Amino acid sequence: MLSKLKRLINNMNLIRIRFWIQLISFVLFVYGGYFAIYLGSKLPIFACPYNGKSAGACFLIPLQHQLSMPVQILLGGAGIAVIFGILTFLFWFIFLNKAWCGYVCPFGTFQDWLTLLRKQIGIRYSTYTQHQFEKLSKIKYILLAIVILVPLLIGVGALGGEWSAAFCQICPARIISPTFGGDFSQWSIDFSTKTSMVLTAIGMIFAGLFFIGSFVKKRFFCFFCPMSALHYIFSKFSFVQLRKDGSKCTRCGDCYAVCDMQIKDIADDVISTEILRDDCILCLKCVAACPEDDALHFDILKLRAFSSTKQGFEKRMGIAKPKGDADDKHTRA
Amino acid sequence: MTSIQEHKQEHKIETPNEKQNRHKAMEALKVLNTLKEGFKTPPKAMEYFYDLFENVYCNHTALHHDKVKVGTMCIQIPSEIIYALDGVPIRLCNGFYTDDEIGSDFLPQKACPLVKASVGHLASKNLTDKPDMIYSPTTCDQKTKAGSIIEGFGYDVVDVDFPRTKESEISREFFRRSIREFSVDLSQKMGKKLTKKNLRSSISKIGYAQSLYHQISEFRKNKIVPILGNDMFLVTNAFFFDKIDNWIEAAEVLVKELEQRVKDEVHAAGKVSPRIVYTGSPPIFPNYKIPLIIEDSDAIIVADETCSSNRMFNDRVAVDEWFVNDMLDSLADKYLKACTCPVFSKNDDRIRRIIELVRSHNADGVIYQAFAGCTVYELEQRSVLEAMEREGISILYIESDYSPSQHGQLSTRVEAFVESLKIKNRNKR
Ligand code: SF4
Ligand code: SF4
Ligand code: SF4
Ligand code: SF4
Ligand code: SF4
Repeated sequence: MLSKLKRLINNMNLIRIRFWIQLISFVLFVYGGYFAIYLGSKLPIFACPYNGKSAGACFLIPLQHQLSMPVQILLGGAGIAVIFGILTFLFWFIFLNKAWCGYVCPFGTFQDWLTLLRKQIGIRYSTYTQHQFEKLSKIKYILLAIVILVPLLIGVGALGGEWSAAFCQICPARIISPTFGGDFSQWSIDFSTKTSMVLTAIGMIFAGLFFIGSFVKKRFFCFFCPMSALHYIFSKFSFVQLRKDGSKCTRCGDCYAVCDMQIKDIADDVISTEILRDDCILCLKCVAACPEDDALHFDILKLRAFSSTKQGFEKRMGIAKPKGDADDKHTRA
Repeated sequence: MTSIQEHKQEHKIETPNEKQNRHKAMEALKVLNTLKEGFKTPPKAMEYFYDLFENVYCNHTALHHDKVKVGTMCIQIPSEIIYALDGVPIRLCNGFYTDDEIGSDFLPQKACPLVKASVGHLASKNLTDKPDMIYSPTTCDQKTKAGSIIEGFGYDVVDVDFPRTKESEISREFFRRSIREFSVDLSQKMGKKLTKKNLRSSISKIGYAQSLYHQISEFRKNKIVPILGNDMFLVTNAFFFDKIDNWIEAAEVLVKELEQRVKDEVHAAGKVSPRIVYTGSPPIFPNYKIPLIIEDSDAIIVADETCSSNRMFNDRVAVDEWFVNDMLDSLADKYLKACTCPVFSKNDDRIRRIIELVRSHNADGVIYQAFAGCTVYELEQRSVLEAMEREGISILYIESDYSPSQHGQLSTRVEAFVESLKIKNRNKR
């Protein structure tokens, strides 16, 4: 019975299942407000509160606000609020780890839909070279530094109030997310101060880049996302993990070839068992594309929830007995 | 041999080609007869393969008169692309001593017998299914050189660049481009376009053929092994030249029968026969010299790490978006990234693979054959031996060639090794 269920799971058509989960999450997080659903503002995803109908909000906004409080207050009682905030964030994060990105984040899902659109049109995706990749994927740490340092500088009085939530001002999700709720007001530059003008102008550029980038490159923005960088810091604490058994891996690179995030280690590292890397969005496409039994697996509390299997691989890749084209079958010699 | 009698009756003088064919038929028959009669009952489904080899190598029946035949010098040319363009891949690796001797005129005496035999075969121009063009991946030095020698015989030979380091991203990009060029060249020559449809369906077809191989390999992990390693080599060697649909059908029948044999507890060897993982220079029909000695000495080959069998079938193609270029890239990756060929700068993957095969197939020891003259396998011998020692896996290293001599000396060594494995097993129990 259990083994049957296991086989069923390992043979599942991940792409389809993921599509539906993403669609449902998207509706929830973009329009959930209409149904009076609210999951708080410490979510580990880009569910942007600038969209008033969101069913929950991105943790980066309270984080920036809290950190920008004057130092005395921050070191006093308010510090507790910051810690409490991080704990709430962690609480959410622990259940899904980076799968928040692969399955829930509406901003991630939207990128996948742009990919789908490109695929429909019949245009092939582009990739970075390894060299570019290594450089670009560091940018998210710079952005995370902006998320954390700028508010602290405001707190000590080194920067003015116009720097408040500076990252949100440049975040493309601020501009794009409300659009799904029919609100186009974020598509503008804030001329109130010079700083705001520059920041929001950058935001507009980023939003434009987002559309072009995500169209040609799978999960374009996620390479730069500071939320992803923040995740990585806590990813070891999660109940769910992506693991690898190097002895079973042939380094065929199938997992690497399908990875939207171009994570080379997923194929080439045969030493680490903890194979979750900082760019990973835990979409599990790699597990689905691995042809070796149990070489890659997704674990919930050390139990294998979804494992790579030969059979599952064959199903998903559409490997089947060829239908006999009559003229191809000559009589046997 | 009916041909001999006919000649006698007609008092005709045998032409060199006829002589070559007669010698090859003798070589082939000897091996086929040993396989059919020298062991416990082989699976009935093997009949197809015995007949196939007899037809092609003894009766010289051509299999593919109606198709363009694309010769390949190594497994790194994706057969998926050739099938998609409606051609037939013919792998030119050769195992005949007769051809090895002819080839000796073109290559140094110390060269690899496999390469000499392949060159000799093409030099004789006496081919049952003559390739219309040849693609030669630049894998080992000798294969690389062989390509240009063969070109001198008037064949249309195209080099396909193959990198010698595989870990780096540069190599991956390099080989992806190389495969794209190959596909463009072939598609021009065939006057046919690669399309999403034909490429995808041929990837699926080869994938299915591979899955049959994987199923058979699963049976070989069992305590009761329903098929000999030598029969398995015959099955995988047939993939070099057979009509793919027929091969698939025959392999399916074989899988069914093996399933039944496992149920009926039919062991292809004895109950205490040591289990061997075979690695090194590839056994190509009819040069099953070492594998036959092994299984004659009451051991059984349960798995192998060679390009004529496991390496050719094991790795699979995964594609994310089914565009032609995406499929081509994935194909290139499959033929490069997982390949455990000894030509690469590093040897780690091959060692890991051998260890994994020993573990998964519960093997008692490893036998490593290198052809005299095959530098790459000879060079790797040391590192593999050391690694096996570290892992506590018994290993025997043998150097061999295609000549029918040295049989006695080789079998003494193999027998002694097999005996030592048996003693080890007894002591364990
Ligand atoms: S990395 Fe992508 S999916 Fe994850 S939070 Fe950022 S935008 Fe969303
Ligand atoms: S603007 Fe970006 S960082 Fe700020 S709350 Fe919205 S999604 Fe989060
Ligand atoms: S797909 Fe599986 S076997 Fe291939 S490299 Fe990735 S983990 Fe290893
Ligand atoms: S490593 Fe696997 S789970 Fe992570 S992003 Fe790549 S394909 Fe998805
Ligand atoms: S056996 Fe060795 S020398 Fe001969 S073709 Fe293979 S790798 Fe090259």
